[in-house]
Amino acid sequence: MLLTTSVGSLPKPDYLTQARAQARRGELDAAGLRALEERSTREWVKIQEDLGIDIIVDGEQYRGDMVAYFAEHLGGFKQSELVRSYGNRYYRKPIIMNTVTRPKPVTVNWWTFAQSLTTRPVKGMLTGPYTIMDWSFNEHYPSRRAATLAIAKVIREEVKDLERAGAQYIQVDEPAISTRPEEMDLAIEALGIVTKGIRAKTLTHICYGDFETIGPKLARLPVDQIDLEFANRNFELLDFFRGKRFAKEIGLGVVDVHSHRIESREEVVANLKKALRVFKPEQIYVDPDCGLKTRTPQEAIDKLRVVVEAAREVRETLTGGSGRRGTRSRSAAVSR
Amino acid sequence: MITTVVGNYPKVAEAGYSTKLIGTMTKWQRKELSGAQLEETCREITTAVLREQEQAGLDLLTDGQIRWEDLVTPIARALNGFEINGLSRWFNNNVYYRRPILHSTPVWKSPILAEQYRFAKRATTKPVKAVLPGPYTFATVSEDRFYKKARPFALKMAEILNQEAKALAQVGAPLIQFDEPAIGFGKTDTKLAVEALNIAARDVGTKTAVSTYFGTLDGIVSALMRSAVDIVGVDVVSEPKALNVLKRTKITKELAVGCLDARNTKLESVAELHGIFRAVRKLAPRGGLYVNPNCGLEFLPHTQALAKVKRLVEAARSFHGGKH
Repeated sequence: MLLTTSVGSLPKPDYLTQARAQARRGELDAAGLRALEERSTREWVKIQEDLGIDIIVDGEQYRGDMVAYFAEHLGGFKQSELVRSYGNRYYRKPIIMNTVTRPKPVTVNWWTFAQSLTTRPVKGMLTGPYTIMDWSFNEHYPSRRAATLAIAKVIREEVKDLERAGAQYIQVDEPAISTRPEEMDLAIEALGIVTKGIRAKTLTHICYGDFETIGPKLARLPVDQIDLEFANRNFELLDFFRGKRFAKEIGLGVVDVHSHRIESREEVVANLKKALRVFKPEQIYVDPDCGLKTRTPQEAIDKLRVVVEAAREVRETLTGGSGRRGTRSRSAAVSR
Repeated sequence: MITTVVGNYPKVAEAGYSTKLIGTMTKWQRKELSGAQLEETCREITTAVLREQEQAGLDLLTDGQIRWEDLVTPIARALNGFEINGLSRWFNNNVYYRRPILHSTPVWKSPILAEQYRFAKRATTKPVKAVLPGPYTFATVSEDRFYKKARPFALKMAEILNQEAKALAQVGAPLIQFDEPAIGFGKTDTKLAVEALNIAARDVGTKTAVSTYFGTLDGIVSALMRSAVDIVGVDVVSEPKALNVLKRTKITKELAVGCLDARNTKLESVAELHGIFRAVRKLAPRGGLYVNPNCGLEFLPHTQALAKVKRLVEAARSFHGGKH
């Protein structure tokens, strides 16, 4: 119970950031870059093990943008010229020019590498079909729906390959899902294609905005676990689940990834205890709100440490002395 | 039929007027360049953008809003009462804006855009319209910690934007357009939106327009037809049913029809555009008809944005009023 994990991305060390820039300028070849990506992946797996995290991620050291990475490795996409996302920040948005295909597995190689470094389970990490569609231009498919369902088919192939390779947890992120509530049914349908018949545990991470409107449909998402940001909303999201019988597992974001401040163990413990009044302990996975790639490596480590220590402390109170357990189950009984 | 754009235009053009704004902005943010140096680059890009629209054959231009981070920040920053906050999603786009927070009575101190407008006007021989956020949208996308009530906030913003509109008219803007994407996007307080718009457009001294996009205007277009603006802009791409809504509405104003998708790179055919032109020409038999992309062109990479502008002009020039 209260297994700890992280949402996906971890910060790139300075040497890798520099290497990526060199590779872009043609000053470093693919093998040279790959060696450094493997080095930092190895470092992050070790850090997670040392911290005591239960379910490891590879940290996505070899990925840039979560949609562009898949667009670069799937067939049918091309990269656009620069478009602005906000302020002075620009990116190359993928354009679907042709039928989307998967010439070969995209992430399996990296997953296998990361899993070879640890005996703990490593999560497979994918971007979901709805998000890939919403964050791309589409010149090929007649509708957003057609594009989404076509992408779902190739992401499913990737999921099957990850499962075949031995992944016990496969996360399919859909951060765009809250953008257009009117398309939630499409996102659910597409995710259904991706996860149908998969025996590995499947989960999806959703972040940003308009939670109120999509909330009621969360239970219909065809995954075993839904991972949400609780910390940056001061755990107000718990109110939504209170009194409901939410049958899925819940990934509980307990530290804010957008703030430099390192949460104290006490506050995370207090928030976890609040969550235990709404969810059963075996239902909860504990992690940061979102990918940690925007933090410095040290901030990411400090935040992960708080996640692990707080989860451990709460776990001990649950499995510890009988008096304590009695207190908890009484309060749980009252709240349900 | 008058060809125009809605407002913003790509700030960088890898195959056109350069990407230098990115580096200049970065250096200015690091205080390695002065405000005057940033201004010089902004003017250079603005001139290039105006020239590009002119050469493409558009009838009515904008300055491309090259200095604008988003639709509200440049105004909020220049007023008393606002703090510029963290990023929020811009409607249903994967694009973000800085959410203004209102802490005290908003105060308009002096003209905000007049100088920039004057520069743009001098840089081209074609007419340039001025674009402002509409009061309802401004209030909707801001966080109100002062009034804590939609109506007084929207109406106060309307007064402020009215002052700004008058200042723009005084420096020669032939048309002031209020962008109101929040009208028709989700639950809309239509009565308040129109009340605010009427205040913003009051006695401006020149032609005024409201531009709506992203949303659906069912039940709202007729209210806009009764508002004080001269031109009503409707996006028939994001919501194709909007064309039917227009057909059911008594059109008593000039229409501006957003008929190319400025949020997708796929280029419309001339035939597709002629189809839309034919439908809307009938709706506005005598009044003016403006045709434009459905929203600002900045969601697109430059090459595709320019291709759309050229296609719009091509379609408009080869259209013979539906008289076959």
